[in-house]
Amino acid sequence: MKKILLILSAIIGFTVTGQAKIKVVATLPDLGSLAREVGGDKVDISVLAKPTEDSHFVDARPSFVVQLRDADILIDGGAELEIGWLPPLLQNARNPKIDVGKPGRVEASQGVRLMNVPTAASRAAGDVHALGNPHFVVDPIIAKTVAQHIAQAFSAVDSSNAAAYDANYKKFEAAINAKLQEWGAAMLPFKGQSVVAYHDSWPYFAHRFGLNIDTFLEPKPGIPPSPSHLAEVIEKMKAQKIKAIIIEPFHDRKIAEKVASSTGAKVVDFAQYPGGLPNTDTYVKLIDALVARLSAALK
Amino acid sequence: MKFFIMVALAVCAVARTSAQTAEPPPAATTPASSAEVQALREEVRSLKELVQTLQQQVKDQQPATEKSVTVNQPVLPENPETQTAATASSPAPSASAPPLFPTTDTAVVSSSAPSVNANGTTTFPTSDETVTASSEPATSTADNSSSLTQPIPIIGGGNNKNYMNISFDSVFALAASSERHLDRLEVGDHDPQQRGFNARNAEIALDGAVDPYFEGFANIVLKLDNPNQTEIELEEAFLQTTTLPFGLQVKGGQFFDAFGRINATHPHTWEFADSPLVNGRLLGPDGLRGVGAQISWTLPTPWYAQLIFAVQNGRGGTGYSFRNPGEDGVFFNRMTIDRDASALHDMVYVPRFETSFNPSDTQTVLLGASGAFGMNDTGSDKHTQIYGADLLYKWKSSHAEGGFPFVKWQTEAMYRRFEAGRGLDDSFPVDETFKDWGAYSQLLWGFKKGWVVGLRGDYLHMQESAFTEDETRQSRSRISANLTWYPTEFSKIRLQYNHDFLEENEFLASGNADSVFLQFEFILGAHGAHKF
Repeated sequence: MKKILLILSAIIGFTVTGQAKIKVVATLPDLGSLAREVGGDKVDISVLAKPTEDSHFVDARPSFVVQLRDADILIDGGAELEIGWLPPLLQNARNPKIDVGKPGRVEASQGVRLMNVPTAASRAAGDVHALGNPHFVVDPIIAKTVAQHIAQAFSAVDSSNAAAYDANYKKFEAAINAKLQEWGAAMLPFKGQSVVAYHDSWPYFAHRFGLNIDTFLEPKPGIPPSPSHLAEVIEKMKAQKIKAIIIEPFHDRKIAEKVASSTGAKVVDFAQYPGGLPNTDTYVKLIDALVARLSAALK
Repeated sequence: MKFFIMVALAVCAVARTSAQTAEPPPAATTPASSAEVQALREEVRSLKELVQTLQQQVKDQQPATEKSVTVNQPVLPENPETQTAATASSPAPSASAPPLFPTTDTAVVSSSAPSVNANGTTTFPTSDETVTASSEPATSTADNSSSLTQPIPIIGGGNNKNYMNISFDSVFALAASSERHLDRLEVGDHDPQQRGFNARNAEIALDGAVDPYFEGFANIVLKLDNPNQTEIELEEAFLQTTTLPFGLQVKGGQFFDAFGRINATHPHTWEFADSPLVNGRLLGPDGLRGVGAQISWTLPTPWYAQLIFAVQNGRGGTGYSFRNPGEDGVFFNRMTIDRDASALHDMVYVPRFETSFNPSDTQTVLLGASGAFGMNDTGSDKHTQIYGADLLYKWKSSHAEGGFPFVKWQTEAMYRRFEAGRGLDDSFPVDETFKDWGAYSQLLWGFKKGWVVGLRGDYLHMQESAFTEDETRQSRSRISANLTWYPTEFSKIRLQYNHDFLEENEFLASGNADSVFLQFEFILGAHGAHKF
């Protein structure tokens, strides 16, 4: 009898430790894909926001509470992009492991210098983020840093696989470094060119590749395009011979097409998140697609 | 052949001098200069390698030797140290070979995140200084005054520098109605109460972490009555635990009960300008809330399920169907017994179970069952039981912008068993038991960013009393339709039409009534996000 118990407990112990994959929740798909690069098959990753939806306004679905309750690690943007939906979820999840400051919490914006930090907060300026623009992961150099933070958190929480996380991170880093040469070369001919965007989500991408993305179809962040503002944009595009308008999956394509047809520019489908465009299930594939699409449109 | 070697050497020499001139400014300290020596050594080594490669190529007599300078590049990722030297020299040969694209950027990634840096900068110290210094004016100037990880604090703004979120929101309504006594037609305390303008809910909301163990919330509501006198109510003020294990959470203070969907929410989040009939008549015009304590438990199931149990005094107008002495000491036409709690059964007990599942990636269903049990003031041993069931279905597009488009269907049904006694000193002729029930169902369609159209049906059945008529005990129904525009999530403008079906009675001037409300709202400050 005792033997059987021993064997049983050994089996249970083995299966429990054997299956002890750490559970990771990423609020946004880009953070999720970086976590996948770093975690490989050692972690279970679930992502809350969909790659095609506006990540400022995600529903705080009750199922997310369960995912957060069970999480060993939470990766969030840390720059108030998710402020409209993450706080009530965390309140309800009651999981001290993922509190800010715990090893189980990765705030991606840590160590990143946010751009466009407003000097004064006024909602008259639209949906401006007080901490700075939170759409930073589209810069591959920043993505490396975020991936490194993630690797550190994974190692801290799951030290038995620390070597694997470190190796995965190094691999990702090397891949990005190599890819940066490719992307940089592809975008080099368009250095200094202006591009119009629907929403101000691209300052980091613009900065990385020397583009000038400071004209938007939205008159102010989060405010829908008005006819008078679009008229100004059209005039500016004609004057500066701007060739591309980048929009995200959830933006009103018709508005962008209207502007494009009266200026001769092309509408370029962009996405901040892997999975937001066809065949972009990884971070590298996403940036590949962005670079390919934009350089094709600017040619 | 010799020519190429000469060129290569010349290029290297230029590169070396340029590297030297570039180096000094950051390398003012001694450790840096030793690093510089190291770098120079490495550079020499890499130059040697370069010369060897070139010699090899010359030997091979390859025709396209002009491009051979780019052999640098494959070498780079292999050895970080040589990478430093080689890329430092890249500006010089840039005329013939494309410069390396930088793979680090101190302008965007701060160097103060401790462990990151230890790795980050030593592994990839590429030619960031030249590149980022020139191409980085905006961010570098913005960062001048702040530390690297901390964003610039914003006065009067971003909540990151305050110990609490402070917000103020105010809801107004312009009302027109065929019924003169709008306050009798509308059943909620925050609903429009008179023809013309109404300011029934101006709310100061505060919330934040109390300490590592508790969060605190407060909602202080100011409202103007019909003669424009200000009334104030402490709608909610409670603290809530944050660190209990096993999915438990305890809250204590004054709070709304988690009974159904609408009761626990504040009027400015409602999708209609007034409260449903069943809420106003069964739970009370102020909603069911009071001083007490609540424990909730998230079940360890793979889907969302939560048990909530609250105990409250249940006294006064906010415990409407319970120990409520009523207006002027009369409730359901009985003179009430206003009494203190003498035993545990004098409290109100409010259990709730709710569970949720996702039929698909874009759909969410939330089901709930609630109860409220306690004593009432119409007799010495008179009980009240209220049961409720609620359903919420929501579809939201997978390509939603600003949360639109969506379809949301919400329904609540309630049943109340109210033992009405003979009142103070048995002054009322009979004992009665009222079995009342009602429901509302509302459908919202957010058809375009910022625009929502809504339709609601209300039904209320109140058991007739054998002896009296009571304004609050009329069976009735209503249909409502509205259109809401949210310019942003901080403001809204709503136009609503109500048609009330009423039997002729002595309390209202007309039978059926038509009403139109124009509601407007604004929110200032950092307002806590709302639950699903």
